[in-house]
Amino acid sequence: MGNLSLKLFGKTLKNPVMNASGTLGYGREIEPLWGVERLGAYVTKGLSLKPHHGNPTPRVWEERCGMINSIGLQNIGIERFFDEHFPFFRQKKTPIIVNFFGFTEDEYIACAERIKPHRLIIALEMNLSCPNVKKGGISFGKEASTVYNIVKHVKRVTKIPLLAKLTPEVKNIVEIAQAAYEAGIDGLTLLNTIPAVVIDTEKKNVAIKGGLSGPLLKPIALKAVHEISKTIPVPVIGTGGIMNHMDAIAFLMAGAKAIQVGTATFVDPYTIPKIIEGISEYLDVHGYPKIEDIIGIAHG
Amino acid sequence: MDDIEGKIVRNDNIVSNYYLLKMKLSKPMGIVKPGQFVMLKIPDNEVFLRRPFSIYACSRDLLTIMYRVVGRGTAYLSKIKKKENTFVLGPLGNGFHLKEKGNHVIVAGGIGIAGVHSLIGKLRGKASVFYGCSGRDEVALVGDIANLDPRISTIDGSYGFKGNVVALLAKHLKSIRRNNVEIFACGPENMLKSLKKLINKDKIPCQVLVEERMACGLGLCFGCVRKTVDEKEPYKRACREGPVFNLWEICL
Repeated sequence: MGNLSLKLFGKTLKNPVMNASGTLGYGREIEPLWGVERLGAYVTKGLSLKPHHGNPTPRVWEERCGMINSIGLQNIGIERFFDEHFPFFRQKKTPIIVNFFGFTEDEYIACAERIKPHRLIIALEMNLSCPNVKKGGISFGKEASTVYNIVKHVKRVTKIPLLAKLTPEVKNIVEIAQAAYEAGIDGLTLLNTIPAVVIDTEKKNVAIKGGLSGPLLKPIALKAVHEISKTIPVPVIGTGGIMNHMDAIAFLMAGAKAIQVGTATFVDPYTIPKIIEGISEYLDVHGYPKIEDIIGIAHG
Repeated sequence: MDDIEGKIVRNDNIVSNYYLLKMKLSKPMGIVKPGQFVMLKIPDNEVFLRRPFSIYACSRDLLTIMYRVVGRGTAYLSKIKKKENTFVLGPLGNGFHLKEKGNHVIVAGGIGIAGVHSLIGKLRGKASVFYGCSGRDEVALVGDIANLDPRISTIDGSYGFKGNVVALLAKHLKSIRRNNVEIFACGPENMLKSLKKLINKDKIPCQVLVEERMACGLGLCFGCVRKTVDEKEPYKRACREGPVFNLWEICL
């Protein structure tokens, strides 16, 4: 059996497969089908300092190429997550990555400050696609200087390794990644959903405005992973349109140390365990003793 | 609950754009409560996400759903032929909460009959059933419930009471024994709104089965929420905290 385990930020993960933030509830919801202990790490739903109600419906819409969501970051807040749900991961000895967001830089800082280091917390993952209310709602991740500042300031208040999850809606993603790196980021998650809109042709209005996810994201995210993992010396976690183990392997070959599965879980709730098994089988069949042997082999 | 493979044994047009789909499952679904639903994989590459459908009937390895063609997913589903294989995830969500004793009143409108059909079956004639549809043709949707003598209304007056089902219920409400009465409803949003208005004064206990656009059906994505009166956490997942809600706790 090929060895799927890997080291990330000095900690050992049993495999490189994670869920993308917000696509596996608070973790317990998938229990009737399979357990979170199967994951390399569980990525939390995006958490904020205070509970957040989220958006009115419709929150989801199907397109042929995937789906658009506008959940609006509904969550119970950091405090309640650690009171009510973290014990579940402790009991299952499952490592977690805490995804968090804010609407001001101060909120990001306060969130990061609130989360105390723990052996099961692999990293914090900051969602940089959030609207910055102090800058007219433009997302934090859009300008290199904003990214530099926020990463620098969050890094100052936490000892936990920090990942930045970048938005694809930028002129030059390598430049954004470079800014995060210069500010001291420990790793990058590539990519978030692509901002999109659906027009209801019957009602002649905007049906939903949100983030597009699903298979069409794969080549876009692969390009970002390939370019950035080549040039910036921090671990990259690849995500976007991964539907099966061969998609996951493409990301690993492109240079991702780990991958996140999101929308595919809605299509087939067993996608994640299937991908884990599929990668393991692939290593066996192709004679790779360990997962690290294929990471970045497409760099040439 | 599990993701179960099934073979379509029947996918028939009943009337206008209403269909009945029956599947033979590769293994029994287990205990199904009235009001629960499944996420059905529509076997066509043009349809990406699964679709939620109330369990119309389920016995051992036979699962039946009733659906109305309303969009892309159901349009493709209506074209699926017999013998095709697909997957159903279920049973999902909380069903209706039934007390041992009670005076059960079931109110359904249009395709809402699909949501309460198994409840009516479970109560075997011990419930008063009110069903509203647009016209005489659609009365066929009551199917095997017909012998339970449901009260029927049609919008065009071509069969039974002329008007909507809430107006029909209003006519009979006085004659329904008030002790232990509980209403179970499923139907269009407007039906639920007027039902709420009708029973608002007496605040009759009422459970409603709601419909929402869904992505996962498991509570993973928070896409299918309903706004409730809970100020701390207003949005509840239809797939997990629902799809049956207390009428007096949701915002309509």
